Amino acid sequence: MAQAARSRTGSIAWGPALPALLFLVALFVAPLIDNGLRSIAPPAGAPWYAYYARLVSDPFYLSSLVETVGLSVLVTALCLVAGYPVAYYLTRYAGRWRSLIVFLLISPLLTSIIMRTFGWRAIFARRGLLNTFLLDAGLVDRPIDLLGSPLSAVVGLVHVLIPFMVLSIAAVLEKLDPRIEEAAHVLGASRTQAFVRVILPLSLDGVASGTILVFMLAMGSFVTLLFLGGGSLKTFPLLIYQQFNTTRDFGMAAAMSNVLMTIAVALMFVQLRLIRRTGVS
Amino acid sequence: MHGLTRRSLFAGAAAAAGLATIPLGGRSWAQTGRLTVTSYGGTWEKAQREIYAPVFTRATGWAVDVLLGGPPQWLAQIEANRSNPPIHVSLMPVELALAGGKKGLFEKISADKVPNLKDVPKVFVDLVKGWGVCTNYGAAVLGYHRERIKQPPKTYREFVDRTARGEWRAALPGIGWAFTPTILLWPLATVYGGGVKNVTPGFEAVKRMRPNAVFWNSVTEFPQLLETGEADIGIWYDGRIWDAYDAGAKWLAPINPEEGAPMIPASVVKVVNTPDIGWKYVDAMLDPDAQLKFALLINYAVTNSKVVYPPELRERFTPWERTQLPPFEEIGEVIPEWVDRWNREIRA
Repeated sequence: MAQAARSRTGSIAWGPALPALLFLVALFVAPLIDNGLRSIAPPAGAPWYAYYARLVSDPFYLSSLVETVGLSVLVTALCLVAGYPVAYYLTRYAGRWRSLIVFLLISPLLTSIIMRTFGWRAIFARRGLLNTFLLDAGLVDRPIDLLGSPLSAVVGLVHVLIPFMVLSIAAVLEKLDPRIEEAAHVLGASRTQAFVRVILPLSLDGVASGTILVFMLAMGSFVTLLFLGGGSLKTFPLLIYQQFNTTRDFGMAAAMSNVLMTIAVALMFVQLRLIRRTGVS
Repeated sequence: MHGLTRRSLFAGAAAAAGLATIPLGGRSWAQTGRLTVTSYGGTWEKAQREIYAPVFTRATGWAVDVLLGGPPQWLAQIEANRSNPPIHVSLMPVELALAGGKKGLFEKISADKVPNLKDVPKVFVDLVKGWGVCTNYGAAVLGYHRERIKQPPKTYREFVDRTARGEWRAALPGIGWAFTPTILLWPLATVYGGGVKNVTPGFEAVKRMRPNAVFWNSVTEFPQLLETGEADIGIWYDGRIWDAYDAGAKWLAPINPEEGAPMIPASVVKVVNTPDIGWKYVDAMLDPDAQLKFALLINYAVTNSKVVYPPELRERFTPWERTQLPPFEEIGEVIPEWVDRWNREIRA
C-alpha cells in the first residue's frame, strides 16, 4: 500500500519533469560533456591541458577575460541604475499608463536583435542622427567616431538588456505592500530613508534576479559587440566565434567556452551570496 | 492498469535515448528522393532554388532542400556526422574545400560523373585539387562612393597611402569575416614585398590605415557603411558591388587595382557517404544555361566556357587575367597565426 502510494508520488514527481529532463540531457548536459572532452584533446604531442594552459598564461587571453567580465559588470550596473527607477515608477506611480510602459519596455524584445543593432548603427554613424544633431547644434565641428567604439557597444547592450532588469525588479516591488512604506513615513522616516532602509532591502530578490539575468546575457553577448563594438572590445564570445568561423580550432573554442561558463557560474554564486547577505531574507 | 513509475519513466527515457542514436537521414532519407544542398542567403538562395534546383529536379525527379548558413557551419555539420552527413552537396570557399578534402569529407570529381565538367577549364578543378569544382568567381576589389571620391586610387599602394593621410575613410574587412586573410592581408603583404611567408608588410599597411578605417565583419555591412558616411571607399566583392548598384546604390563603383585584386572562386563539393545522384546536382550547377542565368542574377563570372555573356554583363566582370590568384592552401595553413596576430596588433 505504502509502496503503491510512493509509486504514485514518484509518477507525479517525475512525469511532468521528464520532457524537461530529456531536453536538458540531450541539449545541455551532452553538449557540455562533448565540449569538455574536446577541450582536453589538443593536437598530438601537447599535454591534455594545453588549451587551458594557453588561456591562463597568455596575457592577451587574460586581458580578454578581464574585458569580458568588466564589460558585463559595467552593463549590469548601468542596467540596475537606469532600470530600478523605472521599475519603481512602474509599480508605484504608472497607474493607467502601466500597460503602455510595460509594452514599451518589452517591444524592443519583439524585434530581431540584428534590426535593433542596425538601428543603433544608423544613430551612431558619422552621418547618423546623433552626429547630425551635434553638428547642426554646433556642439562639434566634425563628426565623432562613435561606431565601432566601446561606448556604442555598451549603449547597445544596455538597450537590449535593460528590460530584463526592470521586469525582474518590478515583479518583486509589485508584491510589496505600499502600507509598509507608509508605516515607515508615519514612524518618521524621510522618503530617502524609507527607500534605502525599507524598500531597497525588500526588493533585493528582484535585484538579484535582474542582475544575474543581465550579467549572464552580457557575458555571452555577441551580435551587439560584433556590429557596434567593431572589434574595439575583444571579449571571449567574439574570440570563440573566431575560433569556430575563421581558424576552425574547435578545441580552443571549447576550452574558452568552458572557462567563460565557469567564471560566469562562480560570479553568479558570489552575487547571490552578497545580495542574500545584504537582504532581509 | 499500471501506474507511471520512476522505473518505467527511466526505461522510457533510455529507450528514447537509444532511438535517438539510431541514424536517420542520409541513405534512408535519400531513398525518399530529396537532396540537401547548402546556400548563402539572399540572391544565392534564389539561384539555388530557382535556377539550379529546377534543372536537377527535371533531370532526376528528386526534390531539393536548401539549407541556409555559412561554410564553417556546414563543414562542422559534415565533420560531426561523417558516416551519415546531413548535407549532400555544398557550396564551399576554396580554403574550406581544400581543408575538407584533406580530411576526406568530399569526393573527387570526374567528367564521367559530371558531364558538363568537360567544358570547364582544368584550373577550376585544380584549384580545389579535384575535391569539387569552382562554379563561379569574383574579385575582392576596391569599391568607392563616386560622389565623394572624384579621383579614386589606381593601385593598392595609392589606396593605403591616401587612407593613411586621411583623404577618406576606408571600410576594410575585419577579422570577424572569415576571408579577411585572403582578401586583405595577403594582397597587401604581396604589394609591399611580402607574402604568405612574410605577412608583416600586410599588417603594417593595415596599421597605417587604422586611424582612418572602419572594419566590416559581415559582408552585407559594406554598402551601409558607405551610405551612412562611415566610410567612402573599401574592399568588397565586385559581384556584390554590382548587385548593390542594381538595387539602387548608383553612387557605388568598383576599381580593380593595377596590382590585381585577389580572385575569389566559389566551389561546389559532393560530400562523402551521400547518394551518387548528388553529382547530378553538381552537373546542374555547371549547366551552361543555368550558369548564364546565375551570372545575370548574381553578377559573378561563371566557369563553363560555353557560356556567352551579354556585352553589358561581360563589362562588369573583373577580367581574370587582371586578378591575382591567392595561394589558398598556403594561406589556410597560416590563418590561425594571422588571426592571433590580428587580435593582438589590430584589434578590429
